Amino acid sequence: MGTLVIENVVAGYGSGPNILKGLSLTVESGKAYCIIGPNGAGKSTLIKVIAGLLKPREGKISFKGEDITQLRADQVLQRGLCYVPSDRSLFPDMTVKENLRMGGYVMRDSRLVDQRIDELFAMFPILKEKSSQMAKTLSGGQQQLASIARAMVLKPEMIMLDEPSLGLSPKVVQQIFGTITSLRDQGLTILLVEQNARKGLQIADVGVVLDLGTNSFEAPACDVLNDPRIQELYLGKRHQDVAAEECK
Amino acid sequence: MIQIIQILILGIALGGVYALMSSGMTLIFGVMRIVNLAHSAFIVLAAYLAFFVFKTFNIDPILSMVITMPAMFLVGIVYYRLVFASRADNPRFSDLTVLITFATGLVIEGVLAFIFTGIYRSTTPTYAKTSLNIGPFFIPESQLYALIISVLLIVSLWLFMRYTRIGNAIRATMQNRNAAQVVGVNVRWISTLSFGIGLAMAGAAGSLLSFVFTFYPAKHIAWIGMIMCLVVLGGMGSLVGALVSSFLLATAAAYVNFYLGAAWSPITFYLSLFLILLFRPQGLFGKKVEG
Amino acid sequence: MAENTIETNLQTKENAVKVPKKANLWIKRGVPLAVLAFLALLPVFQIVEGTLNYYLHMLMYVFLYVIMSSSWNVIGGFAGYVSLGHNVFFALGAYFAGMLFLATRISPFVSAPVAGLLAMGFGLLFGLIALRTRGSTFIISTIALVLLTAEIFDNWKLTGGTNGLAMPLINLEGQFAKIPYYYYLLVVMVICVVMTYFIKHSKFGLALRAISQDETKAEVAGIPTRQYKIIAFGISGLFIGVAGAVWGSYLTYLRPSIFLTVSLGTSIVLNTILGGKGTIAGPVVGTAIMIAVNEFVVAKLGATELNIVVTGLILIFVLLYFPEGIVGSLKARNRLPSFLDWD
Repeated sequence: MGTLVIENVVAGYGSGPNILKGLSLTVESGKAYCIIGPNGAGKSTLIKVIAGLLKPREGKISFKGEDITQLRADQVLQRGLCYVPSDRSLFPDMTVKENLRMGGYVMRDSRLVDQRIDELFAMFPILKEKSSQMAKTLSGGQQQLASIARAMVLKPEMIMLDEPSLGLSPKVVQQIFGTITSLRDQGLTILLVEQNARKGLQIADVGVVLDLGTNSFEAPACDVLNDPRIQELYLGKRHQDVAAEECK
Repeated sequence: MIQIIQILILGIALGGVYALMSSGMTLIFGVMRIVNLAHSAFIVLAAYLAFFVFKTFNIDPILSMVITMPAMFLVGIVYYRLVFASRADNPRFSDLTVLITFATGLVIEGVLAFIFTGIYRSTTPTYAKTSLNIGPFFIPESQLYALIISVLLIVSLWLFMRYTRIGNAIRATMQNRNAAQVVGVNVRWISTLSFGIGLAMAGAAGSLLSFVFTFYPAKHIAWIGMIMCLVVLGGMGSLVGALVSSFLLATAAAYVNFYLGAAWSPITFYLSLFLILLFRPQGLFGKKVEG
Repeated sequence: MAENTIETNLQTKENAVKVPKKANLWIKRGVPLAVLAFLALLPVFQIVEGTLNYYLHMLMYVFLYVIMSSSWNVIGGFAGYVSLGHNVFFALGAYFAGMLFLATRISPFVSAPVAGLLAMGFGLLFGLIALRTRGSTFIISTIALVLLTAEIFDNWKLTGGTNGLAMPLINLEGQFAKIPYYYYLLVVMVICVVMTYFIKHSKFGLALRAISQDETKAEVAGIPTRQYKIIAFGISGLFIGVAGAVWGSYLTYLRPSIFLTVSLGTSIVLNTILGGKGTIAGPVVGTAIMIAVNEFVVAKLGATELNIVVTGLILIFVLLYFPEGIVGSLKARNRLPSFLDWD
């Protein structure tokens, strides 16, 4: 199982300013990491850089010992690193099944892909139910599940999720995070970016705080959750006596 | 009554060719948000190519598709690479493409006029002059062949888009470019390919039109007027839309032509454009676009 | 404390930002005024010498295109809505004044302002329909407009069909024949360019610029975008209509193949974009250059087909590499000669 090593990455969009300003992070396999931080800190940018959708200006990224910094998105996918974007990014006029098939696009063997899809349908029965419906007809939570399932088609070792709770009701968020936890339990490495810092940290093993383009804090998620400074800055608590969150 | 059905037959025959003409343009818009106002100029270019091989090597215009389609495919790839590939992330991209492609059309017109002069041309295979009779109805043989081939090509395109890996990648890119990138589609390559395919369709249309109509360099203006209306009416980016609007307007124009005169026929197209902009700007099958 | 204050003042002065040298007003104002004076006096030489007819004609061409390109700038440059069919206003003005003259003997010089208002009215009407769409669809609708109008005029008995209408020459000797048209167009041109200046520097102009940058945000900011766009479109047709009335009378014949071609519409756009859309001097500079280029191409290469090739290539080149146009690009690099900085 792989580890992801990010060394001093500097990145920005187009000819714009640097959003990531020398970020370093090591993701150990089999654990769930949650990255929190204010808007504009570079959370989504980091994920895009890792996924191969944005080339970094400086720095190095290695996955399982291999340098993946300059790889394209499809090459990163083939190495077992998949990405679930923040807006779900499904194909609206394709059925759920077709969407999942697109998830296996880089895999040439279509029978393997279909096999995998059947496995995923077993894991997510609601998707099987909706398999021939257009993706745009699904509810927000179902779309998120579909997006996750699509990322799973290639049997990745690690998946990155960008704000999976976005736009979803608390109950649905709970379900989604339950799914993410079970994926972690199955051995996947998870890298999660979350605005909903509390929820994200609750299911993660490690919490990372990203601010102003670099990581400013990294600790077991539980500690991050209970750290008073973090609570004040990112969790919206001020001068309150709050019982420490339950630690795993 | 016979008259009415006869006109319908002629309308449908033309509708097929119009659909072929507009399918390429709407595909290009759907994948890359490029409004290719030079599409008809490329069609005329292909027509001249068909004319050239007809006159020089006596190659039947329908057979010339074997030449015009690959040739235009290559032209499309080169043109896209040269002009558009690096600018795809400009937010005002669509407006820019309108002017650039429009100017390209003029350049093509000028070059063709210089080489071939403005004399009206057409290829004249034997079937260009004959009609087939089916009961009390007739259909010009040339238009029948054009219809059949157009439909075959469009169906092939549809099958390609539905059932091949690349076709699905194109469809995915049309529906959500970012998502396509996420699943590993090389959108830049797919865009280039799509432009090539769109122009290949134009190449086929050119070969067919070479014996259905007469053409001259400036004819692309009249044709782009028509294709624009078809694409907007059908919904920009929708192949189904292009198909439906083509048959609809071709038939309508055929009736208008018969009952009101030839001058009113093109006016039908323009009026339909303005009507659809008034009541449903995104076209029959298009998506509501924000800005 | 007082010492600190003085020190602080000195500090500020040392670190003060260098103010750019004030442009030499003599050059900035002088050159355009001198050119204008020259243009105004040229016909006097014509009266005396009688050999300048060709130059008067060329200059009138320039005046005409400056009027059309400058007017186009209001909707195309300021508001960012590109119209490729703007010569419809030209045709409407020309045909209106021409047909009125043929029916009632009212001189086009008199009816020209009315023609302009009519063109503006039509612009408002068309804007109501077409400005519900944005960007590329709008451009398409303007192309459809000019093609539709050409089709109608080609086939309508009232407008003389493809043969058009012929009008009698005005009653002046050859030497003096061009002069009234010359002055009329010169005056209209100056008024038009000055008008674009005032529009640009008005609140209305600022709103248009906001619309061209980001229409949704402009709407959210409270700008009545729909109304403003329609007004801008109407205004952009006003002087073109006037110019059309005058030009039709000058040519003495009206034909769709003169007024309603796609090439004419494209030239208007090219002039402004080449010169610099959104600037005041842009349309003038672009027009002057394009007319010179056209004369050159026709003289050297003769063929008119190559004319459109050149037009097309220049437009593509400018769009890809210098979308700000000549005046715009020079201004961005701070190299714009002051007599061209009319903004």
